[in-house]
Amino acid sequence: MEFDEIKKVWDAQNNEPLYVINETTLHNRILSKKKQAHHITNISELLSVVAYSGTGCFILGMNVYKQSGSIFMYILAGWMIISALYLLVSRIRRIQGNRRFDLSMRGDLAHAISMATYQVNLSRLMRWNVLPIGILTGLGVWDGGKSIWGAVGILVFFILANYASGWEHRIYKARKHALEKLQDKLENEDPGDRAPWLQTT
Amino acid sequence: MTEKQQQQIFENWIDQHKALLFKVVRAYAFTAMDQDDLFQEITIQVWNSIPGFREESSVTTWLYRISLNTAIKWVKKERKHYQAEAIDDVQHVLQERKVQVDERLVWLYEEIYQLDEIDRSITLLLLDNFSYKEMAGILGITESNVGVKINRIKKYLISKSKKYDHHGI
Repeated sequence: MEFDEIKKVWDAQNNEPLYVINETTLHNRILSKKKQAHHITNISELLSVVAYSGTGCFILGMNVYKQSGSIFMYILAGWMIISALYLLVSRIRRIQGNRRFDLSMRGDLAHAISMATYQVNLSRLMRWNVLPIGILTGLGVWDGGKSIWGAVGILVFFILANYASGWEHRIYKARKHALEKLQDKLENEDPGDRAPWLQTT
Repeated sequence: MTEKQQQQIFENWIDQHKALLFKVVRAYAFTAMDQDDLFQEITIQVWNSIPGFREESSVTTWLYRISLNTAIKWVKKERKHYQAEAIDDVQHVLQERKVQVDERLVWLYEEIYQLDEIDRSITLLLLDNFSYKEMAGILGITESNVGVKINRIKKYLISKSKKYDHHGI
């Protein structure tokens, strides 16, 4: 077939759509999905901010109330509150950055990559932030007169948490990489060896 | 804009341009469940896009832009349902019509499905008569870049169609 014939085959479907829409089901699905409008990033950000600030304030409050808290626990409380503030500022910058992208496919991909980059950075930060928190918690427990093994146990727990959060980080990294490859395909004028189907023709 | 107005525009757009959405769904999703899932995702994005529509472009261009952007990201993000019919009692949004489908159209969709996500978008726009300028606007790339990609896609489709003719299907 020549291209004009291919086009005629294509145009024929305009007169006879291939599907029928179940409008009631569609309407119900839209309503239910609108309720889930909060993106996963939104939720994980807010949860992290609440968890860090809440825990930081709680530790600080307990230390001040008891007036016998160790210096490590004060540092831990400060660290957690600073982490919460950092997350909050990052969130505001992310939301403001959303307006920079145009509506083209390139702009949309750039936006998706920017979101993926943000998720990669956030998950990396969360992953490695576990370690100073673990060390400070372990030192605080040890300084409070508890057994050294208790402190070591806490440290091991945080190391495992760091390892586990590496999985999440790798998922975000893979997603970002896939989007970057797409952007490259879109922008590159000479696909060369990235079009294996061309070589088979 | 009130929700009622948004609903009216939405229903109007879906009614008048459903063929466009079906083409994108069919080009990007293979199984019935995936097609259903992608169609829902696209319609939700269309719904959300309504307040932002400023009539700077035609509704067709706008809908292509929304649906292609959604489909490309959906392919990368969603877990696909590779089994053909996993859950029978699920209410599907899309129901295939019992019509005699041209086998050459089935072949054409299969060939489009073999292309990468970006080339699939360009092929749909090309087959639906978008100009290079309009395509460049939708894709966010230069017209010359569009031209290079289109030449390659046309050569691919023509060579595949010759094999198809040769096998006498």
